[in-house]
Amino acid sequence: MEYIVETHNLTKRFGKEIAVNDLNLKIPKGEVYGFLGPNGAGKSTTLRMLLGLMRPTAGSVRIFGKDLKKERISILRNVGALVENPSYYSHLTAFENLEAVRKIVGAPKEKIDEVLELVRLSKAADKKVNGFSLGMKQRLGIAIALLNDPKLLILDEPTNGLDPSGIIEMRNLIKRLPKEKDMTVLISSHLLAEIDQVATYVGVISKGKLIFQDSIKAMRQKARRKIRLKVSDANNAYHALLEKGIKTDFRDNVIYLDEQSDEAVAEVVEILVAEGYSVYRVEEEQPSLEDIFLKMTAGGDGR
Amino acid sequence: MIVKLLAADFLKIKRKGLWLLTVLGPFGVVLLQWFNYELVPGRREWLLQRSDDDWLFYLQNVSSFTPLALVLGIAILTSLAASIENETNAWKQLVALPVPKMGVFLAKFTVLSSLLAVASALLFFFTWLLGIYLDLGSATPYAEIAKFSFYPYFASLPLLALHLWAATVSNNQGIPISLGVVGFLFASFSFKLPDWLPWKWPSLQNQWDEPLVNVVLGIGAGAILYTAGMLDFARRDVK
Repeated sequence: MEYIVETHNLTKRFGKEIAVNDLNLKIPKGEVYGFLGPNGAGKSTTLRMLLGLMRPTAGSVRIFGKDLKKERISILRNVGALVENPSYYSHLTAFENLEAVRKIVGAPKEKIDEVLELVRLSKAADKKVNGFSLGMKQRLGIAIALLNDPKLLILDEPTNGLDPSGIIEMRNLIKRLPKEKDMTVLISSHLLAEIDQVATYVGVISKGKLIFQDSIKAMRQKARRKIRLKVSDANNAYHALLEKGIKTDFRDNVIYLDEQSDEAVAEVVEILVAEGYSVYRVEEEQPSLEDIFLKMTAGGDGR
Repeated sequence: MIVKLLAADFLKIKRKGLWLLTVLGPFGVVLLQWFNYELVPGRREWLLQRSDDDWLFYLQNVSSFTPLALVLGIAILTSLAASIENETNAWKQLVALPVPKMGVFLAKFTVLSSLLAVASALLFFFTWLLGIYLDLGSATPYAEIAKFSFYPYFASLPLLALHLWAATVSNNQGIPISLGVVGFLFASFSFKLPDWLPWKWPSLQNQWDEPLVNVVLGIGAGAILYTAGMLDFARRDVK
């Protein structure tokens, strides 16, 4: 597989605190890579190091197969970024904001209208950014990031502070880009639902460490179903099943079955009824990705 | 690359009052002399009697306010220029563009030194204009006017480098503003300061009575402080 971004033991320390610890990111080409982790896990610090804004304490970054330390400028020519809260010049119009960046990246002038159209800000082009809503500022930030036709787009919490319709709009835009523009997108968020909607690949970071990295499908497979049984006198029922050689989980007065075939469930129910226990409920429980995410991040390294 | 950065930086200072300040500074300095000579009837004649060389005496009067205006102007201009990037932390956007970090610093310095150069040129022009208006004699000393207009500019370059560094690397604008206040107080009492303090240099005074010394010191120390500031700016992480 071709990787657009590869980090090797990337580490950043602020004094004694380790913000990013031995990170080995691998971002495959053409994917929307969701970079997921609770606030303060080290997402922004990692993204800043990918952009050369911060110097790693140790480790290395390769983007497009080139060493960031040696070829920062030629790499950044093909990278667009929106880091945390959007940056803009509030005394300038949207058009002038884009123009100030366009002059530096050397894109053709028509590009400005194109990106304004893409983020639906064409009508507000000549208005000062001062009066923009947060959503519009965020979209302007994306327009700026798209000016140089990047091959890698890095978006740090792009839906932060947006209203629901703004979030949906942003989501659709992010989904469209890899297909239409042949882009690889790296998007960070602390909300799993957000990543789940757009990402095809996921990396989970917690306390500076990468604790999961694979396709979103693989992550979903971790979300295995379980059968929940609520019965009378659950403790004894659990032991009764154990005596018959059926292994179950017993938590909070509920019996959980790993085995899920119809026959297996029927057998368990039959045994319980035969032994004189009342079966109140037989339910299927599907842990959400959220549960998995929480489990992963709570443990620190629950690999 | 630096040309592109400059073009972007000149666009960014639009509507921020930097150009206005550039015009206002020299205008104010010369306007004060118009007040001095013309506001009170008979004052002009009295002033003209006090020296043999009316032009030189007039130029010395003008130049008594030039250092103050320069020191104040540098503090305000650098603070305004840095605030453009600081307001929404646009540094992180700017530095993530395919440009060398040192170029970013150089562009800012170049914009500000250009504005100050324009202010100095305007000072030359306004000084000349008022001199003609006051009818100070037929032999206009262009070289002297130029000296009084441009020497303080070169002598104040270290202050520009220092202020630009302070304004760009501190998240808290209180620090560069305090520096500006201290600088203004220093410049107000420049005649009491030792020769080695850069805040004295724009006054063009020194123990040898040779203004050119301050110019050379200004350019030399300015280059050193600029380089140090730029290296430090490039070394720092962008938060």
